[in-house]
Amino acid sequence: MIRLEHLTLSYGSKPVLKDLSLTLPGSGITAIRGPSGCGKTTLLRVIAGLEAPQSGRVTGISPGETAFLFQDNRLLPWRTVEQHLTDVLPRGRHGEVPRWLELAELTGEEHTFPAALSGGMGRRLALARCLALGGRLYLLDEPFAGVDPDRAGRILDRLKALGTPALLVSHEESVLSGADRMIDLGGPPLTVLSAGPDTGPLFPREKK
Amino acid sequence: MAWRKPLGRILSVLLPPAFWLGVWQLGACLVELSVRGRGNELLLPYPSTVWNALLRLAGEGPFWGAVLASLGRILAGMAAGTLAGGALAALTAFSRLWDRLLSPAIRVIRATPVASFILLVLLWTDRNAVPAIISGLMVLPVVWANLSRGIRETDGRLLELARAYRFSPWKTLRLIYLPSLRPYFLSAVTTAMGLAWKSGAAAEVLCLPRSAIGTQIYNSKLYLEIPDLFAWTAAVVVLSLLLERVLRQLLSSGDRRWTP
Repeated sequence: MIRLEHLTLSYGSKPVLKDLSLTLPGSGITAIRGPSGCGKTTLLRVIAGLEAPQSGRVTGISPGETAFLFQDNRLLPWRTVEQHLTDVLPRGRHGEVPRWLELAELTGEEHTFPAALSGGMGRRLALARCLALGGRLYLLDEPFAGVDPDRAGRILDRLKALGTPALLVSHEESVLSGADRMIDLGGPPLTVLSAGPDTGPLFPREKK
Repeated sequence: MAWRKPLGRILSVLLPPAFWLGVWQLGACLVELSVRGRGNELLLPYPSTVWNALLRLAGEGPFWGAVLASLGRILAGMAAGTLAGGALAALTAFSRLWDRLLSPAIRVIRATPVASFILLVLLWTDRNAVPAIISGLMVLPVVWANLSRGIRETDGRLLELARAYRFSPWKTLRLIYLPSLRPYFLSAVTTAMGLAWKSGAAAEVLCLPRSAIGTQIYNSKLYLEIPDLFAWTAAVVVLSLLLERVLRQLLSSGDRRWTP
């Protein structure tokens, strides 16, 4: 279980998280849904340790144990598809490259540079790199943006088969319906509208 | 008309030098007219005279010795200046304290007249060492400024990725900083190459090392062998342009693979 306790964070005078508390399951795929700008990305960034909350804390996971997929691909223009994976895999595990390529349906593109990839392929490469990095929790910000729904569904199934819990932000219905649980968010500041039946108790819930 | 294309290309390559050679020839004619045939060699020799001087010099032993010695000195200064400039850029980019201490000093180096440096360094060291030191001193601020800007402008999103994906400092340097700095480095060394030759030759003229292009330039001036002065100068220009070209080729050869 991952607990977010009384998180508060504002950018300047704009509060994004205001005394937010939420318990996330320690297994399965949890989808997060909410209007754009409500603070979903900020929430993931706090869990990944990329953003420090002004107060509150995250327990049950440390930033070094997460693998974060950024909303923008952040591919390295000078590295090939294959190199993107070997860059995050430890030396002894370079043999896994074909497996990750297969998962993201990029087999055959080993020696392609990012400039020659289509939008969807670039997204899948960023996802494959994040999954190959691994950890105790995947934090995926719009993992299937620009990926066609059929393919997204197949990749989601493979993601489930990995067994590592994932928290993913998505707008696509097909992805949302494939998740084990769904959390509906509103905001800003971020509020939990519904956390689904399996997410455990929510504590100091919305005061408003 | 298949012959048109290569012909056009040859023409477009040859046209600019031909034009400027024509201007030079015309200028020399005018000078000869105005001195009424008492010889224009002292002011502005004809291109053909300079060409003959160059051929004559190239046939003599000391020419190649001087060229090689100057080349070695300038390359050594260039290499030292580039290394020092790179190291200083890293130091000033990542440490506030060093930035506060070193950046003004490097700006002073950049603003100091090269002649002052030449005379000072001549007082402090051996005359044969001066040109390399001066070249290095001129190259250092250029490399430092370019690389500093490159480090500042390295994509923050990629650096955040490196942190989030637990890259070691070495990996971050190898995979993000070095490739990002490549264009800045290329522009630094090509600018620096020209500076190294100019300042190095100036230092040679003032310090007169045993075997050097600058020493030969000084002697030509001393004995009023103006065609020789032009010929030696042409040698410097050709060497500088040639080396710049070689450097550019070497440094950009890898880029073509991944740029769209």
